[in-house]
Amino acid sequence: MKTKKFNWSQITRSKITWAIVAEILILLVCFIIRPDFFSISIQPSTGVLYGSLIDIVNRSAEITIIAMGMTLVIALGGTDLSVGALVAVSGAMALKLMRWDVLEYNTPGDYTVYPFFLVLLLPLVTCTLMGLFNGLLIAKGGMQPFIATLILMVSGRGIAQILTNGKQFTTMYSPFRMIGQGNLGPIPMPIVIMVVICILMGIFVRKTAFGTFVESVGVNRSASRLSGISSDKVILIVYALTGLLAGIAGLIYSSRIMSNDSNNAGINYEMDAILAVVIGGTAMTGGKFSLVGTFVGSLIIRTIVTFVYYFGIVSEATMAFKALIIAVVIVLQSEPVREYFAKRSEARAARKSA
Amino acid sequence: MENSNRKRQSLFTRLMNPKYVMVYATIAIFLIIYIFGAIQYGDKGFTSLRTLVISMFTENAYYGISAVGMTMVLITGGIDLSVGAVSSLTGMIIAYGTARLGIHPLVCLLFAFVIGIGLGAIMGAGIQFLNVPPFIMTLTGMFLTRGCCSLISRESIEIQSDLIDALANFKIYIMWWNSDGEWAKIKPVCYINFNLILFIIMIIVGTILLQKTRFGRNVYAVGGNEQSAKLMGLPVARTKILVYAFNGFCSVLAGFAYTIYVKSGWNLALSGGELEVITCAVIGGTLMTGGVGYMVGTLFGVLLKSAIPALITFNGNLLSWWGKIATGALLLLFIFIQRIVVLYSARKKQK
Amino acid sequence: MSDEIILEMKQIEMQFPAVKALDKVDFTLRRGEVHSLLGENGAGKSTLIKCLTGVNHKTGGQIILEGQEISPTNPQHAMELGISTVFQEINLCPNLTVAENIFIGRQPMKHGQINWKEINRRADELMARFHLDIDVTRPLSMFSTAIQQMVSIARAVDVQAKILILDEPTSSLDDNEVKLLFDVMRELKASGMGIIFITHFLDQIYEISDRMTILRNGHLVGAYGINELTKVELVTEMIGKDIDVIFNLKRAEVGEKDPNMLEADHIGVPGKVEDISLDIKKGELLGFAGLLGSGRTETAEMLFGAEKISKGEIRLNGQKVNFRQPHDAIMKKVAFCPEDRKRDGIIGDLSIRENIALAVQARRGFMRPMSRQEQDELADKYIKALGIKTPSAEKKIAELSGGNQQKVILARWMATQPDVLILDEPTRGIDVGAKAEIQRLMLEMCGDGVSVVFISSELDEIIRCSNRIVIMRDGKKVAEVDGATCTQQDILNIIAEGAKAAEEVEA
Repeated sequence: MKTKKFNWSQITRSKITWAIVAEILILLVCFIIRPDFFSISIQPSTGVLYGSLIDIVNRSAEITIIAMGMTLVIALGGTDLSVGALVAVSGAMALKLMRWDVLEYNTPGDYTVYPFFLVLLLPLVTCTLMGLFNGLLIAKGGMQPFIATLILMVSGRGIAQILTNGKQFTTMYSPFRMIGQGNLGPIPMPIVIMVVICILMGIFVRKTAFGTFVESVGVNRSASRLSGISSDKVILIVYALTGLLAGIAGLIYSSRIMSNDSNNAGINYEMDAILAVVIGGTAMTGGKFSLVGTFVGSLIIRTIVTFVYYFGIVSEATMAFKALIIAVVIVLQSEPVREYFAKRSEARAARKSA
Repeated sequence: MENSNRKRQSLFTRLMNPKYVMVYATIAIFLIIYIFGAIQYGDKGFTSLRTLVISMFTENAYYGISAVGMTMVLITGGIDLSVGAVSSLTGMIIAYGTARLGIHPLVCLLFAFVIGIGLGAIMGAGIQFLNVPPFIMTLTGMFLTRGCCSLISRESIEIQSDLIDALANFKIYIMWWNSDGEWAKIKPVCYINFNLILFIIMIIVGTILLQKTRFGRNVYAVGGNEQSAKLMGLPVARTKILVYAFNGFCSVLAGFAYTIYVKSGWNLALSGGELEVITCAVIGGTLMTGGVGYMVGTLFGVLLKSAIPALITFNGNLLSWWGKIATGALLLLFIFIQRIVVLYSARKKQK
Repeated sequence: MSDEIILEMKQIEMQFPAVKALDKVDFTLRRGEVHSLLGENGAGKSTLIKCLTGVNHKTGGQIILEGQEISPTNPQHAMELGISTVFQEINLCPNLTVAENIFIGRQPMKHGQINWKEINRRADELMARFHLDIDVTRPLSMFSTAIQQMVSIARAVDVQAKILILDEPTSSLDDNEVKLLFDVMRELKASGMGIIFITHFLDQIYEISDRMTILRNGHLVGAYGINELTKVELVTEMIGKDIDVIFNLKRAEVGEKDPNMLEADHIGVPGKVEDISLDIKKGELLGFAGLLGSGRTETAEMLFGAEKISKGEIRLNGQKVNFRQPHDAIMKKVAFCPEDRKRDGIIGDLSIRENIALAVQARRGFMRPMSRQEQDELADKYIKALGIKTPSAEKKIAELSGGNQQKVILARWMATQPDVLILDEPTRGIDVGAKAEIQRLMLEMCGDGVSVVFISSELDEIIRCSNRIVIMRDGKKVAEVDGATCTQQDILNIIAEGAKAAEEVEA
């Protein structure tokens, strides 16, 4: 068997490396402070896995799901600011469908007014259409993604509020509870949904040529079109897909709280998702992307949040912690720093050979 | 020679220079909305000076002040998401300093300026030297600043300070001859307050900086084509860092204005404010791709953006949420106009 | 031209980490001369210029400007020393006015404020000197490339430059614009400025230069007076091979009876091109001549579906086709290699392999991906067949030289095994050796039965390769001549005079 030579420079030059290193370091700090941080047990009453690590993965589900779509958006050289608002729309719509009768029965209960499949389907269809709207503005309208998606970001929450007349509903419908609070065997349902989506996305972009098309359009749209790629179609698919994923995240979120909260649902999700993608090593300028990197990036963000909760630091300070760790990752990933490392390892190699 | 001089002689052709077209679009749309409001709600007082000066201008002055800095950042082709958080931090520093530590508010403000300008400069340096996209860099800045706000206090802090009170109560009433021929306050009462004056001063300062100094022209050049600017020997790095620092200054000033307005500091104040500010600049005709934008446009952008909530208030039947949707629609409309202008001027390109 | 030496570069060396880009190169520039700097891509021309302008810092040797040794630290510093550069790509700000582009960074001030009146007045004067009558208060983006190029020269000249470097300023200009540029260069020369001129167009070198310096692989080949070398000798010196061997090309053989592959019947897009009719036989090479902006590119784009035709029809193998987008054309085995390689050709961040496989994959659609093995085989095959110089197929295409990039784009289209291949300026901006290879490849493909449409601004290569030549002017097809019998002068006459001359040639 050929032994592969350990290529230090290639590893320091890879952006994912730093994301993984950062994640491991944070976990390590957690472990040093609280040795039981890594312990995973089964809760006897429900038979569900339980522990900080499980909690991190569970709670990262929404961001991870959205970030999967966001990765493609960013690989296209765009951004989607509207995802947070779509999360709110999705939740508002689902609750509205379940509690259409809110005037007659004022107590929430284990029922739904419209059939369950509609409760799931309609929000997802709506969010997909809204994503498609973003895509249309960008592909056919030739608008800058930032501005095009800013439109729905600004008005999306307004739409969510108007859907529910500015009211907050609650529900106790148990199939709906399953989405965010249920479990499949010992595994919490959000994790199951997230893993399924990650795998499906992985297959979609890497087992077909779609990923290459996205990268190609992201680097040079005009050249891609002239090479026979329907750039517009690629853009439309990506934004619609991101809308759909935001819709799914919205269902998970509202199922966790069994309510709609148009003001706070999915707030700052767009920022977190974009950060997850960038930490994961996909450049904001578009081109090569990595879904695995995004997954790690999303975990980092959630680990920081959990870390802060877990150690009783003022929870509002989470953001400051996030900022510090992100700053470190960004600096390590930045071009000059990576070049510096590359140069150093080259120099070392040169010394060795001499 | 003489021929080309003649070409420029008339004021009309000078004003018709295509570079101003977006500003005209902003003003035109504002006028359309204003006239619509005047026809619909003129009898309820929509056309009064009070509505124009107070509901449209004064109550949004802090957004306007911040938008001055943001316009410059956008002209360089960058973006700054940290402005709302920095403004909020300013309020926190002033509130905490005066209420808990007993420091004079001006000293607190000075400290806030150091923080705001410093953070801006650091972010600018990161963007310039580490090649971090502005979006990510300033997002990090926003998280950091918001986190610091919460570390100072998780609750809103009331401000009791003579200076802040004095500034808050400072009003110049607009006077006119009333029906009896006496010099009196006009009705409904209308006044100009400290924040509005600050806003107008900042617009003027911004205009002078952009149009009359080399720094300002470098800002346009960097936004037009950064690579070219570098090869033309312009100080690109310095310009970019200064722009973000100046934006930090504006955010702090905006935070000060906001603090005067609400007389308290709150860690979650102005969340999402950065997007309001960006919206003001964009509907004021500033291109997010950089290189194009005017302070006058931003001034009207602020007016235009506040005209919609005013309309909704005057209607009285609509949920305030419609305001958000209308703002979104306005953005959409505006970008369409921009597209048309760009396409049209591309077609008109002289051969 | 005086004999006074204004700039002397002695024994310049430039060592990059992996490669020695310049090895003991000497260069002298006299006051009031136009001095051409020649060499293939990678010969070290741009490195030499970069050392002179402070973009790169030489690792050995001396630069002496008017008797003083200098070492420019950056372009700004070089400019202050009196060395101005105009690059091939326009390095100005499109959003600023013409006047401001000339004066930005050194605006005249009055009372601490920018004196706009003065700026505009002086810009007017400068433009008048360049014989341009334009409104200098309009944004630069409103003007054509040629005018923009003039503005950047105006900027370079106005900084009291002693030396002006023109790095391929003519590659996007048409003949009239080049003439205008040369007039300006002659004036500057007369005023005592030393001009370093870099171009790929040999004719232009002979038209404007006084002397030339030739580089090859980072070494100095020699400096010659313009009359000391013939064109053939010059090319031989540049590539180090005999030119006849390179250009020993044979026109494609087409018989009268060969079927028409592609026919266009009165196609057009209002305002751009009108009423074009043409046909091309199987295995034929059809040349397109005409000035820039004459509608050559637009016609090619119509044939490929990149530009939707609003009238007329296109027939492929006798069947009517309706291309709404490039994808449709690719499905019908039509391929198009666009003019602007950087903007419309390469996907910079992707590897050579991915770039080559792109069009084939696009034709298949994303649901039917090519396996990695298929891609590797395809890439290896064409890297070998086209002689693409690269250590590995996984290298980013952006890191290749222009000629090699062009070959990769060519490979992308050859891999789709097209029936019709449209090449828009495939040889622009690449060196003579690569040019010849690309021409050879085109003719080989014709031999394999592919119909090739070849667009070029260089008449000699069109005449050398084409069976027939379509001549375009002002968005119309004015003539069609036989490639074997017509001369460069015939085509020039037709372009200049339009249809009248065409009748004479045909008659």
